[in-house]
Amino acid sequence: MKIDFTTVWTILQRNLSFFIAGVKWTCLFAFVGTLIGFIIGVVVGGIRAVNIEHTDRPFVRFVKKVLLLITRFYVWVFRGTPMMVQAVFIYYLFKPVFQWNSHSAGMVVISLNTGAYMAEIIRSGIQSIDGGQLEACKSIGMSFFQSLVYVIMPQAIKNAFPSIGNEFVVNIKDTSVLNVIAITELYFQTVSIAGSNFKYIETYFITACVYLFLTTVATTVLNYVEKKLDVAENSNRKMIVESH
Amino acid sequence: MDAILEVRDLKKDFISEKVLKGVSFAIHKNEKIAIIGTSGCGKSTTLRCINLLEYPTSGEILFHGKNILEMDNINQYRASVGMVFQNFNLFNNLTVLENCVLGQMKVLKRPREQAVEEAKKQLSKVGMLNYISQPVTKLSGGQKQRVAIARTLCMSPEVILFDEPTSALDPEMTGEVLEVIKQLAKDGMTMIIVTHEMKFAEGVADKVLFMDQGVIVEQGKPEEILENPKEERTRQFLRRFIEK
Ligand SMILES: Nc1ncnc2c1ncn2[C@@H]1O[C@H](COP(=O)(O)OP(=O)(O)OP(=O)(O)O)[C@@H](O)[C@H]1O
Ligand SMILES: [Mg+2]
Repeated sequence: MKIDFTTVWTILQRNLSFFIAGVKWTCLFAFVGTLIGFIIGVVVGGIRAVNIEHTDRPFVRFVKKVLLLITRFYVWVFRGTPMMVQAVFIYYLFKPVFQWNSHSAGMVVISLNTGAYMAEIIRSGIQSIDGGQLEACKSIGMSFFQSLVYVIMPQAIKNAFPSIGNEFVVNIKDTSVLNVIAITELYFQTVSIAGSNFKYIETYFITACVYLFLTTVATTVLNYVEKKLDVAENSNRKMIVESH
Repeated sequence: MDAILEVRDLKKDFISEKVLKGVSFAIHKNEKIAIIGTSGCGKSTTLRCINLLEYPTSGEILFHGKNILEMDNINQYRASVGMVFQNFNLFNNLTVLENCVLGQMKVLKRPREQAVEEAKKQLSKVGMLNYISQPVTKLSGGQKQRVAIARTLCMSPEVILFDEPTSALDPEMTGEVLEVIKQLAKDGMTMIIVTHEMKFAEGVADKVLFMDQGVIVEQGKPEEILENPKEERTRQFLRRFIEK
């Protein structure tokens, strides 16, 4: 059991362009996936927080029920299955329809997957806000949608910021599963580099360091933003975050 | 003269208990009604039904003779019936000014300049003009309640419902809020006030309702109810109050 650091150095020099390409894709997928996932999460989480009111017209009630059902199904499916399975399934399922390449499919998968988690984060963010403010909105005649947009959601997002940021850190690592549909992110590159030099320990050592570097940078930046946002919670972001 | 609001045989059951067992009363323009009664007798529930924060089990609530349970635009109705909560329920993500502007713009569709002007007028009425750009989270309880009153006033309501507006306040802040309400009363505002401040009720109200176990036991002029109650239950309640 030992790591040969000269070999590490050689591998790094020989394959630098592959590692960089991998990092680029990893960062791009993690960033875009988190961003679109966040937008999905806000919409879906907002819908999931809808109450069916006594005063709703039958049509409104029907629409709300359908939306609640669809969003609940979406969250159930995407949180209940591994992203790796989702990637393969969705890529091939829609290939005849969209004629897409694996990178487009990967982007959609990571966004949808993140969206499902974000939806739950946003929903619990909404639930953490005391009901009084929503009642005050109602009592001056604001609709649920207006209350959500102008009063509840801004606070929910702010309160949930630590968890939202966590999703980004998780995604940096979880993009690795997208290698199953040949996304050329960092893990994919690592597999092919190690596959040609057979130096598994040294190659994966480099990769581990790069992932650790990326997640550390992300965590530091997020901590800083969090402080700026003056998030009520004073819990420190944990370096080890649970994975999907 | 016709009543602004008339409550007819209002009943409200929650899953575990019957809370309102047939409440009837009416309020006319410029009238001030104080509702007193033991904790849990259904005072808040009565106000919340009027504002449809709770949906009545049965009975009618007439606004200018029209049953609100059959109205098409419930939000327009809610805007004309103001509500001031025990816990203020200000919008924590907004400043003092924006708390007062939001409803005007979103519900009454007033242009921003007009809404700001109105907000300033009402904030100066409650003595909060100097705090306009402060976040509401930084205010004292008394200040918060005064902003909440201004927010309600901005909607130009025909009636204001106060639910124990000073119960959550430190004693030294009670006075400033009661003063504001007294001034509103003098200006001719129509209001229903649930309160435990008997002196205040006597000074401000034209009519006092005494509630117990979900019914109005006795109603009349403040001096009648508070000095010479006919019902034994009212006497008991007041006696306990004086002892405290
Ligand atoms: N949403 C609810 N679900 C179930 N029970 C409720 C609900 N809201 C109120 N109640 C019950 O209804 C009863 C009357 O409550 P309400 O708040 O109207 O009393 P109140 O007269 O305002 O009392 P207080 O002086 O303590 O404010 C209480 O027993 C309360 O527990
Ligand atoms: Mg109450």
